[in-house]
Amino acid sequence: MTQATITFEDVRSDSDKKVKIVKIVGQLDESNVDEEAKKIYAVIEGAGSGLSLIFDFSDLEYMNSKSIGYLTDWYSKVSSSGGKLVVAQAKSNIVDILQVVGLTQLVTTYPSVEEAKLAVM
Amino acid sequence: MIYNQIRNMIASGNQSQVQVPQAQQQPEPVQDSTKEPVKITIILPTNAYFLSGIRDFTLTMTKNMTGFSEQWAYRFQSVVDELCNNAIEHGSEKGQNVTISFVNIPDDSLEVIVEDSGTGASKYTAAQMNNLVKERISMMQGQYLGLRGRGLPKIVAEWTDELLFEDIEGGGLRVRVKKYLRSKEDAVLSSSGDPTHVMLT
Repeated sequence: MTQATITFEDVRSDSDKKVKIVKIVGQLDESNVDEEAKKIYAVIEGAGSGLSLIFDFSDLEYMNSKSIGYLTDWYSKVSSSGGKLVVAQAKSNIVDILQVVGLTQLVTTYPSVEEAKLAVM
Repeated sequence: MIYNQIRNMIASGNQSQVQVPQAQQQPEPVQDSTKEPVKITIILPTNAYFLSGIRDFTLTMTKNMTGFSEQWAYRFQSVVDELCNNAIEHGSEKGQNVTISFVNIPDDSLEVIVEDSGTGASKYTAAQMNNLVKERISMMQGQYLGLRGRGLPKIVAEWTDELLFEDIEGGGLRVRVKKYLRSKEDAVLSSSGDPTHVMLT
């Protein structure tokens, strides 16, 4: 099975906004994406309304079309509950594939996590 | 490194097979050897476990042998992954094989051919695949929020010049995709919308 590790980090802020950084390391493909996706669904469903997610893709090497489908679904869920979902530090091949499927029209990509924080806080 | 990985897969009894380039199997006097087609065929068990190795191979081979840029090497990686995923998910049942062939004419084109055994529970014919791709391309003209269905109409179709489905005599589906090397296009980090794309039906 292809290796992927997902970690979550709360972003502290003065406001009452709930923001988490989701860092994905490795590759998301057919062999692992269904299992890894469950972890992110659990965080979204456990947080209630108003959760914003910053996906730190600095160490994400590959994502297939199914993982893009999941990212779209997380965007829909987070947006419908009043939060934001953005991507930070994605490698050029990841930005390229997000562009070709049209997801960059929905999900904004930022060159750094700090800029992504400013956008969602 | 990837060649060693593939050799290791063979040695470990995974029934994988790599054919050496045809040009080496059938040496003939050639006047311009740089334009001779090079064909590499890999046979994999129907298991997504092996896809990362195929992606590594595609990336390395495209970067080092074809004349395509690194950006296109990554794009081919995705195209091959999506085609193999479909063959594993729909076309070949467990215990069967998926065959992937790369045909490269250096500095001219790269063709990828993926064949399944036609034993999958949800297999499709070539005619069904043609209709499916047309439907999905149409469906994705607007904002598409679905979980599945982007692989063929967005990644494969938009990053290749030709897409052809063929029924294999005796069962199975063969998918051929081809991308021609164009230096100007290849040099630019463009997004989607290759205006030269042709769907062969």
